[in-house]
Amino acid sequence: MQTVIISTLVIALVGLVLGLALVTASKKFYVEVDDRVTRVRECLRGSNCGACGYAGCDAVAEAIVKGEARVDACPGNSTENIAKIAAILGKEAIDQDPQCAYVQCAGTCEATKAKAQYVGIDDCRAAVLSGLSFMSCEYGCLGLGSCVKVCPQGAISIKDGIAVVNPRLCVGCGLCAKTCPKGIIGMHDRTTKVAVRCSNKNKGPMVKKVCTAGCIGCGICVKQCEQGAITLENNLSRVDPEKCVGCGKCVEKCPTKSIRFL
Amino acid sequence: MKSLIMIIVSTALVNNVVLSQFLGICSFLGVSQQKKASLSLGLAVTAVLTVSSAVAAALYQFVLAPLGLDYLKTIVFILVIAALVQMVEMFLKKNVHAVYQSLGIYLPLITTNCAVLGVALTNVQNEYTILESVFAGLGTAIGYTVAIVLLAEIREHIDEEAIPAPFRGAPIVLLCATLMAMAFMGFSGLS
Amino acid sequence: MKAYWERIYNGVVKENPAFILMLGMCPTLAVTTSAINGLGMGLSSLVVLAISNVVISLLRKVIPDEVRLPAYIVIVASFVTVVELLMEAYMESLYAALGIYIPLIVVNCIILGRAEAYASKNPPLLSLFDGLGMGLGFTVALVIVGSIRELLGAGSIFGIALPGNFEPIAFFVRAPGAFLVLAIVVAIMNAVGIKSRANKVVEGCDGCCANCASSGCDKKEAEV
Repeated sequence: MQTVIISTLVIALVGLVLGLALVTASKKFYVEVDDRVTRVRECLRGSNCGACGYAGCDAVAEAIVKGEARVDACPGNSTENIAKIAAILGKEAIDQDPQCAYVQCAGTCEATKAKAQYVGIDDCRAAVLSGLSFMSCEYGCLGLGSCVKVCPQGAISIKDGIAVVNPRLCVGCGLCAKTCPKGIIGMHDRTTKVAVRCSNKNKGPMVKKVCTAGCIGCGICVKQCEQGAITLENNLSRVDPEKCVGCGKCVEKCPTKSIRFL
Repeated sequence: MKSLIMIIVSTALVNNVVLSQFLGICSFLGVSQQKKASLSLGLAVTAVLTVSSAVAAALYQFVLAPLGLDYLKTIVFILVIAALVQMVEMFLKKNVHAVYQSLGIYLPLITTNCAVLGVALTNVQNEYTILESVFAGLGTAIGYTVAIVLLAEIREHIDEEAIPAPFRGAPIVLLCATLMAMAFMGFSGLS
Repeated sequence: MKAYWERIYNGVVKENPAFILMLGMCPTLAVTTSAINGLGMGLSSLVVLAISNVVISLLRKVIPDEVRLPAYIVIVASFVTVVELLMEAYMESLYAALGIYIPLIVVNCIILGRAEAYASKNPPLLSLFDGLGMGLGFTVALVIVGSIRELLGAGSIFGIALPGNFEPIAFFVRAPGAFLVLAIVVAIMNAVGIKSRANKVVEGCDGCCANCASSGCDKKEAEV
């Protein structure tokens, strides 16, 4: 019986001493945490992707509260979260323009072919450093997946040799667009309905030689569009999202199927 | 003095805590993905290990042993370690905020690091004095930091190689640890 | 009733703690020098896991949130001390073989992890079966690794020597051999299609702490 009492007392005493030490330490090392920082932090995605340019969600929350960053500093944050952040700080909400990424290339393994076999680091940025293009189209997607590695939402993946964005998962942070060494990932806002999946600025016959799905700059879409939303630039179609109504005539008539619905 | 140096050498190299005693493997495999985090974690573990070895040894020598409560050492040691990690966390948060931020979640992880409790228990097993316990803790932490930083360096280079699909991820890291363990076995001649 | 068997199946196959969740690495590598040691360690962990899961589940509404972690640690440490004392009294050779790894069951990531992730949120009977499932899975993993190492490193299995002139390779019962055997086992599982959780890119989380729900870790959402 005596052992039970002694051991209980010892443990209780040790616990008490440690507890007191912790309480003193917590008072002595008390850090004034602005309650607003925690509340702002909860309105952020929490994936620590760094697209905002700050070292993680905690850092940008602090910056927002301090006033160093705007309330919409987190790219792709939802409108309601931005409104919440603005409300916490007593500021005005900024109208968000939610973006979505899309890859301007339709050159799958069937549409194009490789000129040479690439042996090296599995990264588009590394491949581009060689200065040589191993795919038949020198503007097109290499399919090595630098964008895949950098996407914090897992919204982009390699299918059939090119990168494809899943618009339901994409939040529009823009990291893939910044990472792509070919610069062929574009951002569009959520109202855009059609876009051209090609970045090849060469004339039609040259494009046809290297890719069966590329834009040959024939201008059929320009003629078909009743809203006058499409123009030709650099042998590529360009769709003006504000004029486009999404009728789909251009998509229907495109001979190479390079202009598509998003 | 010579015996103290021997304690450091033997705990850091000969019986390396990670590669020989298999303590602290979970964080060894997890944290070594980034070199900077590895170094920060190594330093934090050094601080916690040295202090906790001292406090645990003192508690054992002055409280548990005289009262014949040897069986309570597991509970008491782990309580001390948990409290210490909490205090280190608070201290860093207030005084060296940059280190606190860079460590992130790895700081509370030290509580469940087998190495910390393991060292406290081995010190009791080897019947070290308080001073010897401190040096043993220090040596262990040095060995842990060396191992984890080395593995982090290796892992940076692994990314650039074409590894067969079944080995990607954990298996290749374990294979690197195999080779490191073999290398460290060479130190056994020092003891 | 089905829910209980599902817990067992989950622990042994779907979320095997050693192979899939990659938790409890320290004992997996350290004590598997022979199949019997692996079995002994696995069963001790199973007992501690099951009992502490039940106790923590019973007390889950009573323990305040801020002292959650220290409370769990103390509960687990108490049961580990009991198991340790029982082993020292009745299973001396196993106690000597497992050595310091018995008290280290306290900081076994599996036990605190399950306490935090499951026992603190579910009723006692379910938690018991979860603990049994996880413990069983852990034991199976330890026995597999232990058998391989004993077979290759000492030419015997469960203490029964193999017939024939098999020259054992001592490398496998030493430190590097442990890493190697585990690497090959996980590689085989990958090749067969059983993906380990550690291969998933979860920023900064190796699942080895009990910090998921507390403010210590906000990366749990990324894991889903």
